[in-house]
Amino acid sequence: METTASAAAAKQVERSREARKARSPVLKKLKRFAPLFIMIIPGVIYLFINNYLPMLGLMIAFKDVNFAKGILASDWIGFKNFEYLFKTEDAWIITRNTLLYNITFIILNLIIAVGIAILLNEVKKKVAARFYQSIVLIPYLISMVIVGYLALAMLSGETGFINKQILPMLGIDPVSWYSEPKHWPVILVIVNIWKNAGYLCIIYLAAIIGIDPEYYEAATIDGAGKWRQITHIMIPLIMPVITIMTLLQIGRIFYSDFGLFYQVPLNTGELLSTTNVVDTYVYRALINLGDIGMSSAAGLYQSIVGFVLVLLSNYVVSKRNRDNALF
Amino acid sequence: MNKRTNGMIAVLLAVILVLAACGGNSEGQPSNAGSTGNTDGAAGQTAELKPYELTVAFLSIGQIKDLPEVQAEVNKITQAKINATVKFLPIDIGAWQQQMNLMLAGNEPLDILVTSTGLNFGTQAAKGQLVELDELLEKYGADIQKVVGGDVIKAGSSGGKIYAVPSVRDWAADYGLVMRKDIVDKYQIDVDAIKSLDDMTAVFQTIKDNEPGMAAVLPEGPSFSVIQSIVGSVIDPLGDENGVLVGFDGELKVVNWYETPEYASLVKKARDWYNAGFIPKDISTNQTTSEQLIKANKAFAFMAHMKPGYESKESLLAGTPLVAARISPAISTTSSIANIMFGIARNSKDPERAMMFLNLLYSDAELVNLIDYGIKGKHYEVKEGNIIGFPAGVDSSNATYNPTHGWMWGNQLLSHIWEGDSADLWTKLDEFNNSAVKSKALGFSFTADPVKTEVAAVQNVKDQFKIGLENGTLDPESYLPEYIAKLKSAGMDKIVAEKQKQLDEWAAANK
Repeated sequence: METTASAAAAKQVERSREARKARSPVLKKLKRFAPLFIMIIPGVIYLFINNYLPMLGLMIAFKDVNFAKGILASDWIGFKNFEYLFKTEDAWIITRNTLLYNITFIILNLIIAVGIAILLNEVKKKVAARFYQSIVLIPYLISMVIVGYLALAMLSGETGFINKQILPMLGIDPVSWYSEPKHWPVILVIVNIWKNAGYLCIIYLAAIIGIDPEYYEAATIDGAGKWRQITHIMIPLIMPVITIMTLLQIGRIFYSDFGLFYQVPLNTGELLSTTNVVDTYVYRALINLGDIGMSSAAGLYQSIVGFVLVLLSNYVVSKRNRDNALF
Repeated sequence: MNKRTNGMIAVLLAVILVLAACGGNSEGQPSNAGSTGNTDGAAGQTAELKPYELTVAFLSIGQIKDLPEVQAEVNKITQAKINATVKFLPIDIGAWQQQMNLMLAGNEPLDILVTSTGLNFGTQAAKGQLVELDELLEKYGADIQKVVGGDVIKAGSSGGKIYAVPSVRDWAADYGLVMRKDIVDKYQIDVDAIKSLDDMTAVFQTIKDNEPGMAAVLPEGPSFSVIQSIVGSVIDPLGDENGVLVGFDGELKVVNWYETPEYASLVKKARDWYNAGFIPKDISTNQTTSEQLIKANKAFAFMAHMKPGYESKESLLAGTPLVAARISPAISTTSSIANIMFGIARNSKDPERAMMFLNLLYSDAELVNLIDYGIKGKHYEVKEGNIIGFPAGVDSSNATYNPTHGWMWGNQLLSHIWEGDSADLWTKLDEFNNSAVKSKALGFSFTADPVKTEVAAVQNVKDQFKIGLENGTLDPESYLPEYIAKLKSAGMDKIVAEKQKQLDEWAAANK
């Protein structure tokens, strides 16, 4: 009895000694993973130099930069560089345009890209599948400048395809597309979907192809039709990809595709009320002024709005389903 | 495990060492260049000058394939005279703004750059990106001051200090209409009788009635408007047209140009022309130059601001002879002088040497001809007296050096005259400059910095309405009042007031 007790006590001591040894788990971990940490160092240094050091440049947005004094010694001027963004009623127009366009793009691109991806998945012949995949991707690879002229070929007032061929067939009078702003919300949305849906579709298609076919087999045995398979297997299984892609797009909701809003309307002044967005406004405002303080102010404003929106939407997603959230 | 770790560490160390070595190398180079480049500011005599390389950024316009050879020849001259070599840095106009901003903001080697009111001169001067030239001109710029004197050199000033030197070229412009000669002859249009916009209307009507498929009038080019090219005959834009002087003999009173009755009548004229079908309906989306449209038989004429010999240059581009009807005398403003200037960059390690080189550009005919036309016998031949042309077998399509940038480099009057132009072109140009009506505000240049918030906001409003109104695609009845209202809410009045203040100060200082 005694011996067992003393043995137990000895064990206790031993254990507590071990525990003391292990009390510095950080050091132990450090030692154990030393090679890995060393391997991380170059990457971290790179990340720091490339992604974090330049953030010091954010101060430019609050300075009246004078190169004779140098950036650090230039005068602080508070939020004066931001004023021009909110100066006129245009501030409301560009904010509204940017947000509404991007929300529309995100929603429609998602629906159409997933739709095409599901259809492409059903094409079983290998050659045909490759062919269709390439076809939907090609618009994404075309430069916006060229897209602008493709649009002009369609919409040109005197020689455009729509005014010359389509509208007469329907018995409608020609429309002067480039001087009536009201048509442009529709035109820009169509152009954007035509150009970007293919790219997103390829990403969703990759996710769909990754789904284990056994799910479908099981569902077929249980008597589920195609529609059921899509809504109950495909969509739920690619949900994480959809969420991540959408969250990433929401993060850039306050940035707009400069080419789309500048090149496609051919920089036509008459259309500004429906085609001016934050990026084109800043470009027009500063092209003659060349003030780096004001341009950094615009950039900072956009990133902060984007950052807040990502945090918010990620919070909403994580409330509903922890696994789908980005972080 | 241990062995493997050691191996990994060794590899990592090796990588880091290599990286560090690379870093060291690239760091070493500029500091070397810096130490050789630094000369004592006191060095004034050529004999004592240390060798220095001047980097000269300029707008790349024409064919400059043989620039390295020309540069080698230029260096022979500059080495002998100021013991410096020159490194030419041609930059395309499309990339200019961005590249210049980066070069001036960073610390890249750059000594001399082309600048202009349209290329951000105001900001460059106000932000300290250019070196003040007053003292340097005094010390090393005697030849510059000889040919660019008085009010003219003040066009390159900001806040009372000179920051850039204009090249000697057309310092004025006259305004009017450039037309196809064959059609003018066909309908026996009396070019000399065209003295006003109303006279033009009659001509356009003839074209409209008899030449279907041909636009009667175009702007000077895409992104211009029909009115834009001739407003210079009515106002001094004082740089950016935000606040202008109307007329050239009145007092120094800055007004908002778009509110004036003169502007209203001009845009009404444009609207009438547009409605009458003189201006093509798709003008707002047109991206083709007017010369090309004339070449393609799609247009009869375009509005233009001109100088002596303008028609002959344009005829080459349009592929058909052109004639011009001038509706105003030559007019000289700060903007027409400050269009092309040379400034010395803050980055320069030796601004004195840069000024010496600039001085050569205004005095050394051999240097100017070399830069303007290339090497004699290879890129051009002397035809007769001062007239030169391509050597046998060379034309503009296969030339290896045909930059057509004489107007950029110092004193153009020192250069030869290209065949096709009249032999007395430079005399004519000199007369043109001297006889030009001079704006009361000649020499004043506006610093936009105190009102840059408003300038940025106003620019967006201008982009929305200006070209549409001035090409007649927007009806001035409803859009002109909207334009004016939006300009006001964007802060136009504040810009006008600031400009008036700066102009008054300038006038007081220049009495």
